[in-house]
Amino acid sequence: MGEISAGDKNVGDKNVSAKSVGMAVDLGGVRMQNPVNTASGTFAFGSVFEGFFDVSRLGAITLKGCSAEPWPGNPAPRMCEVPSGMMNTVGLANPGVAGMVEQYGEYLAGLEGRGCRVIVQAAGHSVEEYVAAVELIEELCPWASGVEMNISCPNIARGGALVGGTPESAAEVVRAVRPRVSRPLLVKMAPVRVPEIARACEAEGADALSLINTINGMSIDVRTRRSRLSKPTGGVSGPAIHAIAVRMVWEAAQAVKIPINGMGGVATWRDAAEMILAGATSVTVGTASFYDPTCAADIVDGLAAWAAEQDASDINELIGAFEC
Amino acid sequence: MTAAATGLHDFTVVTNESVADGLMRVVLSAPDVAFQMEAGQFLNVAVPGDASQILRIPLSFSHADAKAGTIEIVYAVVGDGTRRLSLMSPGDASTVVAPCGNPWPLVEGSRRACVVAGGVGITTVVACARMLAEAGVSFDAVVGAQTAGRLWGVDVLEGLGAGSVSVTTDDGTAGRRGFTTDALADLLAQGSYDVVYACGPEVMMAGVARLCRDAGVACRVSMERMMCCGFGACGTCNVAMADGTYKSCCKDGPVFGAEEVAW
Repeated sequence: MGEISAGDKNVGDKNVSAKSVGMAVDLGGVRMQNPVNTASGTFAFGSVFEGFFDVSRLGAITLKGCSAEPWPGNPAPRMCEVPSGMMNTVGLANPGVAGMVEQYGEYLAGLEGRGCRVIVQAAGHSVEEYVAAVELIEELCPWASGVEMNISCPNIARGGALVGGTPESAAEVVRAVRPRVSRPLLVKMAPVRVPEIARACEAEGADALSLINTINGMSIDVRTRRSRLSKPTGGVSGPAIHAIAVRMVWEAAQAVKIPINGMGGVATWRDAAEMILAGATSVTVGTASFYDPTCAADIVDGLAAWAAEQDASDINELIGAFEC
Repeated sequence: MTAAATGLHDFTVVTNESVADGLMRVVLSAPDVAFQMEAGQFLNVAVPGDASQILRIPLSFSHADAKAGTIEIVYAVVGDGTRRLSLMSPGDASTVVAPCGNPWPLVEGSRRACVVAGGVGITTVVACARMLAEAGVSFDAVVGAQTAGRLWGVDVLEGLGAGSVSVTTDDGTAGRRGFTTDALADLLAQGSYDVVYACGPEVMMAGVARLCRDAGVACRVSMERMMCCGFGACGTCNVAMADGTYKSCCKDGPVFGAEEVAW
């Protein structure tokens, strides 16, 4: 928002030559022109942001998670505000892979042509549903540079436990999907048992790890004694979870050799720089795009200026450069 | 339908004053976007003053003056965000995401309309009445509030040329004691309306929708939902449709055909 982003321009004001810094990164085979990505479910399918800025300036966008069949999602209210953040229970409402391609395929193919990588996210409630989703993505999304599998979905066959809630269950679904995905495969982890699950996903052939997803929370209206959402719990996102996210990205980066796509409450270039220092190769903007729709583009500029200020000739020199 | 893409625009507060109990009227100078706003659309306003409240506040407007470059918003002070908005002073600056959503439609062939407002729903209903007046559609109005002190807009509607303005209050302190639906039922029994436009509490709009369905009169309603972005990115403002699907309040609405909505 206004107050925050105004302060963020400080580095740019120092008149450092950001252009001389190499900004391209390789996220497990997704070759991005800069490290800035958008979080699934916060950027729709990209096109609605074109009225705010040239989306092709971003390194990548990650699409709203799509399942093989359309999902209606949860009833209203799906969101509420909490201090320094928000909660949602959208329930992965999506038009299905085919519906997404029909509505947005042409735009997304064009966006790839303009230099911004498109990562398609697959959602499912079971191993079979993930397999069906990625098979459709392989068939219908030839333009996509990568596939991200969201393993933070509830597994219906396991009574709603997270698909990726244990190293064993995460490994099972990555193992099933990996041979069916010809492109770089990212795994979007739940914010639980990070080092173990990160290692399990790497062992099964994930090319990169995306973390963190929202942290499960509750918000109760004390007058009605009901949840402020249509479900008892929902995912907390926004600046409130940023410090936790940086810690988890750092843990993951130490646990595995594959690159990390870091996210969680990133709202300014400083937040993004923290993620890179903690070990993230790319940084993903989520909730901030809702209230500061140009945030991701501003972070591209801010990161370049910061890297120059740090005397880096290439942003890659700063990945994991945290000194403890 | 909507020509202008939703964008990010600066504004400066021109005036911000109380117009009724719990109702404030703010005029924003926003020349980059005022001329793009169509009646029925809304703005998502960044209200400074509390860094821990990150989201914008979605608000309807009552008048967008393209020439003056101003937007008038009558809002109810109901939560932390609108309380902060009520503290903004002339000259204070911030940003809006706008225009959001779709306008009130002029229903083809309609010559007589009735507009119905409950509570702060009056804001977008006044914008609707202005659109009708400019299009040469004659209209009557029903305005409901909890109590006389919370009424706003009756004189504005009269000034826009309303044939009649029926006032209802829950406690009978102004106009007829009861609900807008009581007044609308009488008007529908006498009048030959082609279309009814309504905005107010959901239970009121459900009642209006039922009356219009029974009378065979077209009805458009403006829905309200908790939302984050206002431009179709977050997927949180879903409205349940009669056919069992969901639509987005910000992208598909906020104006819906009353028959589309699952009441």
